[in-house]
Amino acid sequence: MPVCPSPRVASDSLLQDRASAPAQSAPEHEHQAKNRRRPVLAGAVLPGRILLLLGTIFAGLFYFATAVFLVGVGARVARYARTPAPLVIPTTPAPTTHAGVVARMFREVVFFESLFKGSKWSWLFGWLFHFGMLIVLAQHFRYFTQPVWSWVVMIQWVGSYASFAMFAGLAGLWARRVLVDRIRYISAPSDHLMLALLLAIAGSGLVMKHSAHTDIVSLKAFSLGLVSFDWQPLPADAPLLVHLSLVIILMLIFPFSKLLHAPGVFFSPTRNMRDNPREHRHVAPWAKELPERSGGTDGA
Amino acid sequence: MARIGGNQLCQFGIVSLILGCVTLWAPVAGYSDVATPKIPAAQGEQCVEPVEIMRRDHFDFMKHDRDKTVHEGIRTIKHSLAGCIDCHATKNASGQFVPINAEGEFCQTCHTYAAVKIDCFTCHATVPAVKMSQSP
Repeated sequence: MPVCPSPRVASDSLLQDRASAPAQSAPEHEHQAKNRRRPVLAGAVLPGRILLLLGTIFAGLFYFATAVFLVGVGARVARYARTPAPLVIPTTPAPTTHAGVVARMFREVVFFESLFKGSKWSWLFGWLFHFGMLIVLAQHFRYFTQPVWSWVVMIQWVGSYASFAMFAGLAGLWARRVLVDRIRYISAPSDHLMLALLLAIAGSGLVMKHSAHTDIVSLKAFSLGLVSFDWQPLPADAPLLVHLSLVIILMLIFPFSKLLHAPGVFFSPTRNMRDNPREHRHVAPWAKELPERSGGTDGA
Repeated sequence: MARIGGNQLCQFGIVSLILGCVTLWAPVAGYSDVATPKIPAAQGEQCVEPVEIMRRDHFDFMKHDRDKTVHEGIRTIKHSLAGCIDCHATKNASGQFVPINAEGEFCQTCHTYAAVKIDCFTCHATVPAVKMSQSP
């Protein structure tokens, strides 16, 4: 920033400030306002046709990413559902009833129970991140509903805090991977990349909210157009385009990555099975085909 | 668990690409269907900043001016909230100013659209200041 030739810089006198304010503050003010102008891509306001093209391109990318996400996750879930789990291996102590399994799964998904038992730091940061993200995602419904659903309006203020919680959680999880020797040793590149990607998504969102704002009214028109197949111009602000591109990348790699733990937890045999080997005899499918031995009993 | 092979991955990518393209070719209904805020016309010739800048940064300007005014005692008129209201307030059929944060008015229209709460008017006036000489 160029040095402002204002005597106010040299003098701290409030009185002088007040007396000379109208004459000096106007040009200085204008200057600051210019400095705070957000660069719109190359610093110029792009014509509407370009913005519409941009919106259309991003709409196409989003449709592609959504198709990959839905088909990919669907295929994975179908595979999880078909994968045989012939042995009864719930981690004990385990519930003995269906209701108990539902309750255990609820605690697992909502409170990350076994993570809590396993590692307090991972639990703290993981839980902060996941529930920050949940609220932030819910907050994003304001872009897709018109009129905005009332509960979405009500949670808007929580979202501001939740976004920081999400960022802090991710930063903590990444710090753990870098700073803890044992964890660093077992961390694969994909572990780091997932955290980097999510952190960049959260970071670009925070930048947009708190520093380099975008035109959220136009953005909402774009989002509404996206879900009604009626493409609208997209504001060409760098943080927004980065944010959206990273989300598209996330959707694309979701079905092929460790992020599949989201649907996967429900298919986890150590969590979704009942501890009932005494009440029910479990016979593996291959064992059913064996010829029955007559008169033979265990230990006879 | 078996992993997805390269061939399957290719097929899957192609299918997704086709699905993505097909949705792009769906008939365009025109721009009328997408709801956008309809704000009332302003009085003045031109805003204090270009429209594109105001749409992004108006609250920063106001907050900046608030700090300048309240903390440092510098009163500038460039980004004053009163200036916004002077240009953007509308009158109803009986000639009375409508509060600018009323539903359908300048501030509220977009803020409702984007689900953003306005804090300004718990303190500030929502209609232009009426000069004593002009009052009937």
